[in-house]
Amino acid sequence: MQALIGGNGAGKSTLVSIITGVVQPDAGEMLLDGAPFRPRHPRDALRSGIAAVYQEPSIVPYMSVLDNIMLGQEIIGPGGLLNWAAERARVRGILHDVLQVDVPVNAPAGSLSVGQQQVVEMARALVRNARLLILDEPSAVLAGQDIEHVFAAVSRLSSHGVSVLLISHRLSDITEICDAVTIFRDGEVVSRGPLAQYDMAGIIRQMVGRDIGPETRSASAGDRAIVLDVDRLELPGTGPAGISLKVRAGEVVGIGGLMGSGRSRLVRAVSGCEHTTGGSIRVAGVSVRRNSIRAASRNGIVLIPEDRRRMGLVVNMSVGSNMTLAVLDRIARFGFLDHRRERAMIERGIRELSIKAGSDTQAVRNLSGGSQQKVVLAKWLAAEPKVMLLDEPTRGIDVGAKAEFYDIVRHLREAGLAIVLVSSDLPELGMLSDRVLVMSGGRIKGELPGGRASEEAMLEMAMAKAQLRDEP
Amino acid sequence: MRAGAGWLARRGSSGGAVWIIVLAVVVVLMVGHGSAFLAPQNLAALLSASVVLGLVSIGEMIVILTAGIDLSVGSLASLTCVLAAGLIAGRSALAIPILLLILALGAAIGVFHGFLVTKLRLAPFIVTLSTYFILEGVGFGYTTVPIGSMPAWVTNFYFSQIGPVPWIFVILLAIGLGLGLVLSRSRYGRHLYAVGGDRVVARSAGINVTRVIILAYVISGILAAFAGYLLAAQAGTGVPSSGSGLELSAIAAVVVGGTSLAGGRGHLIGMAGGVALLSLVQNAFQVLAISGFYQGVVRGVVILAAVAIFSQKD
Repeated sequence: MQALIGGNGAGKSTLVSIITGVVQPDAGEMLLDGAPFRPRHPRDALRSGIAAVYQEPSIVPYMSVLDNIMLGQEIIGPGGLLNWAAERARVRGILHDVLQVDVPVNAPAGSLSVGQQQVVEMARALVRNARLLILDEPSAVLAGQDIEHVFAAVSRLSSHGVSVLLISHRLSDITEICDAVTIFRDGEVVSRGPLAQYDMAGIIRQMVGRDIGPETRSASAGDRAIVLDVDRLELPGTGPAGISLKVRAGEVVGIGGLMGSGRSRLVRAVSGCEHTTGGSIRVAGVSVRRNSIRAASRNGIVLIPEDRRRMGLVVNMSVGSNMTLAVLDRIARFGFLDHRRERAMIERGIRELSIKAGSDTQAVRNLSGGSQQKVVLAKWLAAEPKVMLLDEPTRGIDVGAKAEFYDIVRHLREAGLAIVLVSSDLPELGMLSDRVLVMSGGRIKGELPGGRASEEAMLEMAMAKAQLRDEP
Repeated sequence: MRAGAGWLARRGSSGGAVWIIVLAVVVVLMVGHGSAFLAPQNLAALLSASVVLGLVSIGEMIVILTAGIDLSVGSLASLTCVLAAGLIAGRSALAIPILLLILALGAAIGVFHGFLVTKLRLAPFIVTLSTYFILEGVGFGYTTVPIGSMPAWVTNFYFSQIGPVPWIFVILLAIGLGLGLVLSRSRYGRHLYAVGGDRVVARSAGINVTRVIILAYVISGILAAFAGYLLAAQAGTGVPSSGSGLELSAIAAVVVGGTSLAGGRGHLIGMAGGVALLSLVQNAFQVLAISGFYQGVVRGVVILAAVAIFSQKD
């Protein structure tokens, strides 16, 4: 039972993809039972007894659990028909004896909880006589009791000779079931050994490495007016108390936490993209209707989404068209677009954000990541927002463009915008934010002032089993 | 997805619910026109009329289970109808060989469909719609007027019965039971449902998705071709466009019977109920002597009602 630990972007998922044959390595070699192992296709890995269970359950929803477990490994009886009795026996054997879970075998797999679905996937791997089971952040999508069940099942695997590689940042789970630990950082193993050798502080130190670089801090927001007031916003998974936070004009509130902590969902909920079941949102004192993107944007709430290609841009449209997309009603007269006003808007956007495009008629698809992100920014700035929510804005952007982006954020901050920044890049978070809220498991675990938001502090807060602390 | 909410929903999800409507229609017919409905010629006509639709619907269901669709079956049946009669031209000895040729043609077209859908990743709707037009054109090119003739023994067989039940209906039952067994109890059947339910998961479980899909279209093609041959046997000659509209009726029967157009869900029992319903409605028109205008309206309303109540909500 080995744990693979590393921060976001450390390279764990890539490693898993290589082991399971989804991706080919550039260099180096793998040994399986002492012999070279080079899977070129997921099927090779499967045949060698390696199976992976990911966060998104890989099941056919309307087929029964039994059929799902036996998928691809069906037992044929005499006469060429399926041997239901034999299959049922095998499945029950695995579920009851090996995993010791109670899952309704005839129910459609889609009706199970996510945790149960993951157990079904594990069972499928065992039917294939998997020798190595890789679990990729299983608890990221699980809640409460589910997690107990899954980990209980996992811990029983070792007694049946199955090796498990568990990728998780939940130290509590790791300490419960794992024997050894490997710590990743920036694509390399930085530490490895039996679990007994490590304590939480030691693990975090290895995950993080050195401290972050210099910070530029200007005057704090202090007593400026509260622009965004989120009170007890309830989303599925955030718990009964909901999430509360306040952002002042000219303030950057960073939200940190590890994958699956609910940060993206929070900002998407505030902007109306994600469904909420309770709580309130106010902008400059005005109440904003939840669950409505139009209400949010009409009140000045703007979201720069995590996946700009899919959610932020119409990739086949031109730079110019994308930039004016959100405010067409302002440049239209009687339903027809006023080209002069549109041009003026586009030129202003390109100038203010220094967008490097061949021309504004170029398709956005052809721009670099950094330029694309600027177009998304320009689009929403044209709408004159009061609150800007940034969801992993510098993902996939080169260093130079990142620096330009930081400058833009600082300017916006000085212009009085209330900014919420969700980022997995801890140095970035510490550098840009006035204060950082740390989220874990759908709740805000605590707050750190911008200057002292070191990576260690953030990780410690994220991984601790702390009590829920609301915004004061 | 919530599991089993209520008796009706559960019946609906297994496709058996549509049989309730079928029963209702039967009762209505018996009450009003019992003697006419239950007359042996009428029953025989009802059963034999359901054979062509039944065959095509089985094939259609298998294709729809893969999240695909086959719009070409009507044109294919029309084509094989005139081809069969035209090529046999009354010569008894050719009846079986030409039948085999016809079936091979259906299979070949199925391979063509399957290949385009899997290897070239074209949308099934467009692929089979194109074939619909192509086959229709080929049919017209071959003949625009009734052509050829089927040997007497073939036509006689079509109308022969075992007791009150036509032989061809028995054949339909046999094919239906056989394919039903394949769907529910064979490895191919399970792979079929998996491919329709979630193609990515199926592929990652090691299932040969390409082969599953191609085979589905081949089955549909063979059954549609056979249906055309039966149409020729019934008329005694090859009447152009005799299969026209079959594809839509088949799809209706399949959907009414609880098969989801999104693939991966559906039972043969339900589809059989759909076929029964449509055939009954058609028969009712004859028994009640309803005019053409009302026929269309009633058929449409019945299908809509059945779908609204009993089909899988996607």
